[in-house]
Amino acid sequence: MRNVNLKKLIATIGAAALISTGLVVAVAAPAQANTPVCVTDAKTGVITCDGKLSNGAAYRTMVPSNYDGTFFFWQHGVRPSYPYPSYTPPTGVEQMSPTSVNHKISTVKPMLQLGYGIAAYDCQNNNLRGWNTTECVEMFKELITITKARITIKKTVAYGGSMAGAILTPFIEKYPDLADAVGIEAGIAPSVSNTLKSGCDFLYIFSVFFDPTIKGCTVMGTAKGIAGHYAVLGDFAKVGALLTQWSVDYGSLPIAYPAALAPAGIPQRSALLLAGLMAGIPTKSGHMDGISTSATLVPEGSINSTVAILENAQDFLGTAYFGGQGVGEVVGAGFYDNTKTNFSALLADEDQGRFTVGLSGDDAVNAMLATLAAAPRITGNADAMAKLAALDKSKFDTTKPVVLLSNEADRLVLAGNSVLYVNKAKAVYETKLAAWEKKYAAATTSSEVSALLKSKPLWNTVSIYAITPDIYTKFTETGAPDLTAPVAISGVGHESFTKDQLMTWVRVLASSAKTGKVPSPTVLASVLSKVPYLNSDPDYQPSELKYQD
Amino acid sequence: MNLRKPLILTIVATALVGSLAMNGLSASAASVPGVSSTEIVLGMQLPQTGGASPGYNKIDDAARAYFDYVNSKGGVNGRSIKLVAKDDTYKAGVTITTARELINNDKIFAFFGSVGTQPHLAVVKDINRRGIPDILVNSGYSGLYTDPKKYPNTFGGLGTYTVEAKILGKYLKEKYADKKIGILYQSDDFGRNALAGLTASGLKFEAKKTAASFVSGTHGSIGLATQIGQLKANGVEIVIIAAVSSATAVAYATASALAYKPTKWAVMSVGADSTTFQTILGARGVPLANSAALLAGTISASHIPAAGDADDEFVKAFKKINDDFNKGADKRWDFNVLHGMNIAYIATSALMGAGKDITRAKLVSYMEKNGAKLSNAAFAPLGYSASTHEAFTGFWLGEYDASLLLKPLDGKRVVYTTDSGSGAVTISNYTRPAIAADALPKVG
Repeated sequence: MRNVNLKKLIATIGAAALISTGLVVAVAAPAQANTPVCVTDAKTGVITCDGKLSNGAAYRTMVPSNYDGTFFFWQHGVRPSYPYPSYTPPTGVEQMSPTSVNHKISTVKPMLQLGYGIAAYDCQNNNLRGWNTTECVEMFKELITITKARITIKKTVAYGGSMAGAILTPFIEKYPDLADAVGIEAGIAPSVSNTLKSGCDFLYIFSVFFDPTIKGCTVMGTAKGIAGHYAVLGDFAKVGALLTQWSVDYGSLPIAYPAALAPAGIPQRSALLLAGLMAGIPTKSGHMDGISTSATLVPEGSINSTVAILENAQDFLGTAYFGGQGVGEVVGAGFYDNTKTNFSALLADEDQGRFTVGLSGDDAVNAMLATLAAAPRITGNADAMAKLAALDKSKFDTTKPVVLLSNEADRLVLAGNSVLYVNKAKAVYETKLAAWEKKYAAATTSSEVSALLKSKPLWNTVSIYAITPDIYTKFTETGAPDLTAPVAISGVGHESFTKDQLMTWVRVLASSAKTGKVPSPTVLASVLSKVPYLNSDPDYQPSELKYQD
Repeated sequence: MNLRKPLILTIVATALVGSLAMNGLSASAASVPGVSSTEIVLGMQLPQTGGASPGYNKIDDAARAYFDYVNSKGGVNGRSIKLVAKDDTYKAGVTITTARELINNDKIFAFFGSVGTQPHLAVVKDINRRGIPDILVNSGYSGLYTDPKKYPNTFGGLGTYTVEAKILGKYLKEKYADKKIGILYQSDDFGRNALAGLTASGLKFEAKKTAASFVSGTHGSIGLATQIGQLKANGVEIVIIAAVSSATAVAYATASALAYKPTKWAVMSVGADSTTFQTILGARGVPLANSAALLAGTISASHIPAAGDADDEFVKAFKKINDDFNKGADKRWDFNVLHGMNIAYIATSALMGAGKDITRAKLVSYMEKNGAKLSNAAFAPLGYSASTHEAFTGFWLGEYDASLLLKPLDGKRVVYTTDSGSGAVTISNYTRPAIAADALPKVG
């Protein structure tokens, strides 16, 4: 198994743009945005313009010679404010359109070839970023507004990835006239508190079974700026040490802590699996398909899934730590409270049955659950908890077409976020529909009926999932999983899709913007069935988030 | 005056009716997945290959043979029954894929007879979320059936482990009151159910002494020497095994190697199928005669007749159908074939009962309201109701003879009945209805 190098690990997390320690400050009241500087590529005819938003943040637009009037505005995910070993935060416009980390592809060229204009910006203020979603909503609005003032735009698509879910959702609700369609790729369904709480649970379980000095989410937000950044980094180093150890011994050593549990001889990997299942971490990863076995080191399917959780945990915990610190700077320390958490309820019966071998059976599960039930709990700060619950609050009531794109086994923003988004939007839609039907039933004149028929609520949200191949784990000659092999072609990783998958999403967004409606289930299924590993089953649903607030 | 709304509604309704009429189909046939005017498609997931396949891999062919027989007699309400079986190799991750294939590619109407608790737990929540009937599941885990609010579309195809354990425990407690009784059990849902049932019957076990547990799936590589050695060291005279057949076989072989000869072995039925037991030991190089000698004298239970009970009318009828219609690679008559045919017989009854305009909801509703009345080869009624989806509510106890025929204890078959809760174990007064001359269920 790959030796987990903490520096490399942290660099990876930073590169994935999921680390956040930035201060959130109000956007300075500037005069106005600068006039952009534009150049035309003599070969392609693409006009590229670079400018600054009113607070000095960089933006860029690119318009092809065959521009058809459809303009895509890209909202990037969370970015760190501070450097890490081997990693320097990017400045300026880093990403013009969706890219794929796993597949090392860019969609800039194919989007321009289709005649779409594209724009992106760097959501920062005074070079600080973090969980600055409120700022981003306003900066995104400014970007679209000034671009529309300069370029003729027939249809506008607001789209983005990861943290962008917590920006674009409130954005379209606040500024419904500024976009004709919304695309969220691997995005958070606001509020982030659901995912963050699972991350905090995961770290808490680590502190109970592996290292009582791990502070987990209690360290987040206790200090701001660089001091807070290093406080979190120090705690993450303890977790990194555990991950490194398990990458060598597969967690085969018995749990040594707490003392009362030690005689049970439960392998550490069983507690890791338990923690992962309780947090809802995918049981497939870039290299582990959850199924394949080898004669020696991975003799049973749930061991494969345990290694998958280990592989996913590296980045998931990076999100929890550094995203959590970013959130902590906004809402204050003490946003995590588990005094009322029923950890037993977080382990689904289905998971306990399916992964019984990896969990070392009922006896081990009962012993671990009893330990968790008896462990001292963390009491949060009521003010911080309330602020977290209110963060990025959205109503999910937009009538604009919304197209979600997720990987089945996204290790950072769990696919359950898309499920939650759809469920929340559906609840709003059904309430509206019920009210409409009541009015319709009560209508007595043809003019009333005519008016009502024009205002009938429209279900206008669709979720696209990329799924994994069935089997893809490779083993070395020793029977160990080969974590140096190429990752699965589809369904894994964060914001990692094939070019075909990304461009299908883009085309569906463009079509939706033009018609004002997402494609019908039949049409969508037909489109998706032609793209490898895009799920065309309209009733498909990945695992739900453990918390659904 | 409001003229427009009724006009619009009338136009829509007329168009809808016209559209259906032109297709010549009933409303349900036009819209129910897996149901056409000529066919009902069922899907089964089971290990057809791999280490867990011996024995289980005959269930689909047996069930299909019975459905083919039904089809040869005109099918159910004019529709033939098609069974699509997928090999999940008893790996839960694969089960997710095969379920997806059955739903999306094969367009099944219902899941039927899927095998194995662990694989099924990987998909049961999704199947129920989708509203797909999930009938006659080959798992005795009570957690799948006793709370229909949790899994409203899932119905058992075996008696629960709890029911069987309560019946077995009562008998052993009374029969061997002067003996030290111990247990070897899987530390999972199966063992959890079995322990609950045995404890409810009044038996008591002491952890690490008279109770030895293991994690199913590790017995092949790690073995059971520690557990069997523990029971031997603690003087256990009656050993109950609540484990799958592969573990039962390892336990017997280990006891033999350790020269441990308990007075009696009592094995929960899913771990005591003689064909599977001998196949697994055969793969370890144990001759048939030796494996037969190991199992002979073992107490076990069954809800249906022994496959070798040549005088039983269901056995006779099903055996004839097996001879005539089974196209499987191994159609040798045994418990798995008998059981496969029996659950196909029950499924046929339920599909008939759901009516010509069958829907998924109608099938589930019919099974809840009428399932308990569906006769079959079992000697106790099905437990289906709105409050529980447990299948067989009774077992009879027997002992394997030298030819590995399970023969009723004390020479007379006594059927005991109870539930998965706190109900008492009593002798059943149920009289099994006779099978019709044409071996087709009569519903109505």
